[in-house]
Order: sequence, then structure tokens, then C-alpha cells
Amino acid sequence: MLPDHAKAMQRVCFGAEPSEADLELLGSRERWLIYRDLVRNRLDQVIGVALARTKNAIGQDAFRGAVDEWYARERGPVTRYLRYVPSEFAEFAIPVWQRTEAPWVADLAGYEISAWEVRHGPLDPTPAHDFAFDRKPVLAAAVKVLRLAYPVQQSPIPDAGYDPDPTILCLYRDKNHKAVPRKLNPLAADLLDAWRAADETVAESVQRVAAAHSTDIGPEFVEKLSSLVTDFIQRGILLGGAAQ
Amino acid sequence: MTRDVAGIGLGLRYDLATELLERTPKSIAWLEIHPENYLDRGGRYQEMLELAREDWPIITHGLSSCLGSVEPFDARYLKELGTFLKDLEIPWHSEHLCLGGADGRFFHDLLPLPFTEEAAAIASQRLIEMRDAIGIPLALENASYYAPQGPDGLAEADFVVEVLERTDAKLLLDVNNVYVNGRNFDFDPRLYIDKIPMERVVQLHVAGHFVRDDEVRIDTHGEPVPDEVYELLDYTLRKTGPVPVLLERDNNIPPLDELLSEVDELWTIYRRATGVGNAP
Repeated sequence: MLPDHAKAMQRVCFGAEPSEADLELLGSRERWLIYRDLVRNRLDQVIGVALARTKNAIGQDAFRGAVDEWYARERGPVTRYLRYVPSEFAEFAIPVWQRTEAPWVADLAGYEISAWEVRHGPLDPTPAHDFAFDRKPVLAAAVKVLRLAYPVQQSPIPDAGYDPDPTILCLYRDKNHKAVPRKLNPLAADLLDAWRAADETVAESVQRVAAAHSTDIGPEFVEKLSSLVTDFIQRGILLGGAAQ
Repeated sequence: MTRDVAGIGLGLRYDLATELLERTPKSIAWLEIHPENYLDRGGRYQEMLELAREDWPIITHGLSSCLGSVEPFDARYLKELGTFLKDLEIPWHSEHLCLGGADGRFFHDLLPLPFTEEAAAIASQRLIEMRDAIGIPLALENASYYAPQGPDGLAEADFVVEVLERTDAKLLLDVNNVYVNGRNFDFDPRLYIDKIPMERVVQLHVAGHFVRDDEVRIDTHGEPVPDEVYELLDYTLRKTGPVPVLLERDNNIPPLDELLSEVDELWTIYRRATGVGNAP
């Protein structure tokens, strides 16, 4: 029966060790082991590209072990899109690395996978209006806010990794289609989160977030807010305003 | 409305796109894309497709909706795919006659179907379902395979024809796959070609492949097209007439000029075999 064959193929390709019973069911043991290599090599490659710095940081063997464990546990990716496979793996691996690797590795992997997702993110929406404080904002589709304990967007200290230094980043896709980090202060990060949610006008979100940070909306605040909005528009993070 | 596609095409790939889209070589008559690489994706891929469409007609070739899979289609995906394909003004879309996943998971590779009545029935039902859903003519492509699936290698041709006849479908005939299978399973690939109803062939694929130390040939699309595949293409084109031919190159992508040399060789064969088709 074809469903039984399909599940045997799945176990041969993703199992920790292919069983002799499955290989016998499918026939031609050596040839099915070729398929196991082909399937795993393709996935290994895209995962290794997306998480290249993490792989280098924890070493080939540890990275290989995490990937193999993921294959055995999940029995293959749920996504049909090869570009989303690294995200599925990272969702499994980052909690593991939080327990088993240096404390900054999880931040590094999170940063790398976020950059990958920004780079390969969806099409940007087309705003109905120019940016306005009395409208809900429209942001680029590929924007993320990361709150990190370690400044992993920078190069590591040789043979040491990173010292703790809490860092908030906005990752966005620039005009050359690269994922670019921009540092944010906590209030700007909360504003950007509110604008990504897009369930209130810009004025409403500014008032709410400023109050949450116990910040008066005075001339100095307005000047900084104006600079932030201008910068976000120039970087292509903030695209405009929504229809009412 | 669809755009005419004829002559020699090339796959639009990220690694060669910059040079290809700057030079827009006239010997390339059309481009093929994999929809999965562009659906719900912005950035460079969106830009590549927009630029490509300014100069070439597009044909699409799917990677993930393998016709022999045993699980239901994702209706939302088929709807998105159909919308995407209609916007591209393509004459047909193609998918592989293979098995691409199990139990809600994707292999991201093309695994073989056994050449059985059951598999033919499943693939036929899925082909019709997908064709209805996307609203565009759907061609199936014969796959390469490395583990025996029937009593002999030529049984695959009978299997392909069975699905074609059941569904009244078109065929994207991959000449390299026929050659690879012929070498791996010891049959004359011309006998395979002879079994195919040529009126169903709408497109051909050619590519290079990798020969392992144990002589097993793997369809990598990572090597130049070998002379034996060129010869089989010539044999096939004399039967099909001037259907569009794609040069597939997905790995170890060389400088564009090397690919253009292969394109020129394909044009020579195309003109000689069909008597038509000057490069635009």
C-alpha cells in the first residue's frame, strides 16, 4: 500500500537510524540509503547557510547532533517552502542550546534566524495613505524587534564570545534586500511593536507607550519622535498610513 | 491570456540572476521558475521575477505538490498558487510524478512512486484535482529515481502513459531523467521515448547529472549536459517537433557564458531536429 511505503520512506529519511524492516519493505537497501543522504543533505545545506555563525560558534559536531535530533523527533519539516526549514529547526534547537551551550549562543541563533526571515520575508503591503498620526501605521512586512542579552550583531570577542550587554534591535530589509540591524531604546522598541500590531492610530500608540514609560510628551519627546519617524520612513520600515 | 513560449529556455536561479538580468542574452527565449521560490516572498526574489518578466515569457514548474503523495492537497496553497500562475500568463504549469512527503511532512526531494495501479490511481486523481483548483493546464513530469520501482526500467514509461491517459494530461518530458533511469536500470532510453505519446509532450527538460563512484547516476542538475543526453534530446525532438526545451542548472552554477554555450548547443540540436526555431 502506498501510504505504508510513504511512511517507510519518511522513517528511512529522517529516523535516527533507518530500520532494516523499512529498507526491506522498500527494497534495494543501498539505493534507499542514497535517498536518505539526498534528503538530509539538501535540508542540512539550507539550515547551515541560515545559521552559519551559530554553526561555527558551537562546532560542527554539536550542530550536526542538533540537526539529527530534530530530524528524528519531527520526522521532517512541516513547511513546503525550503526557506522556512531553518526556522522550524531553530524553534527546536534554540531552547536546547539555551541549556547546553554558552549563554550567548541562543541570542546568536535567534539573531541569525531573524535576519534570515527578514531577508526572505513576504512582500511589503501598499499603504492607502501617507503616514499620519491620526491613522494606523503601515509597516514593511519584513521587520522584527529583538531584545537580546548579548550584542551578537557585532563580531565576537576572539576565543571568548560575548560579554552581557542588553541590546534592542530592529531588523529590517533594506533597499538591497539585506537584513540590517538598527539599535533601538526601550521606548522606541515598544512603539515599533505597537506599530507592527497596527491596531491603534499612531497618536494612540504614542500616548499609550509614553505613559507606560512614564515619559511626558513634551517638545523634546516630540522632536525625538519626529526624528525616529523620519528615520523609519527613510529606511523603508514605515511605509505609510492605513485607510480609516 | 498567455504568452507564447518556444525554443530554448533557462531556469531563473538566484546565483545567476544578476548577470542574466543585466545582459538579457537573446539566445534565451524564455525562463522557468519554481513558484515555491516566489510565493509570499518579497525582496530580491520579487525583484528578480519583475525584471525577468520585462524581457521573457515565464513557465512555471512546481517542486512541492508531488502528484503521487497520499495526503490531501492544501486548498489554501492551491488557491494562492492559482492566483500567482494566472498573473504570470503562463501556458501551462507542471509538477512531478513522484512522492514528496508523508504524514504532514515534506521530504524536499522527489521520491519515487511504485509503478502500481494504486499509485497511478492516486496520482491521476490528484492531478485532476490540482488542475481543477489552479484553473490552468497542468503537465506532469517524469522523475528520475534510484531504487527499483517495477519489474524493469521501462515499466516507468507504461506508468507515466497510464497516468497521462487517465487524466488526459500533458507531459513535461525530462530527457535527462529518462537517460539517468536508463543507465541506472539498464534499458535503452530510446525505447522509453518510443513508448511516449508525443502529442502529449508540451515541454522538454535537459540537464547534467552526477556519476557516483559506484556508477549510480544522480540527477543533480549540477553538471554540464553530457553528449549522450544531447543525443537523446535530438532523438526526442525529431518525434515531438518544436516544443520548448529547458536547460536545468540548479547546482554548481558556472559563469553565464558557460551556460550560454550549452544553450547554443541546444539551439543547434533544436534547429537540426525540428527544422524550425532561430534564436530570437
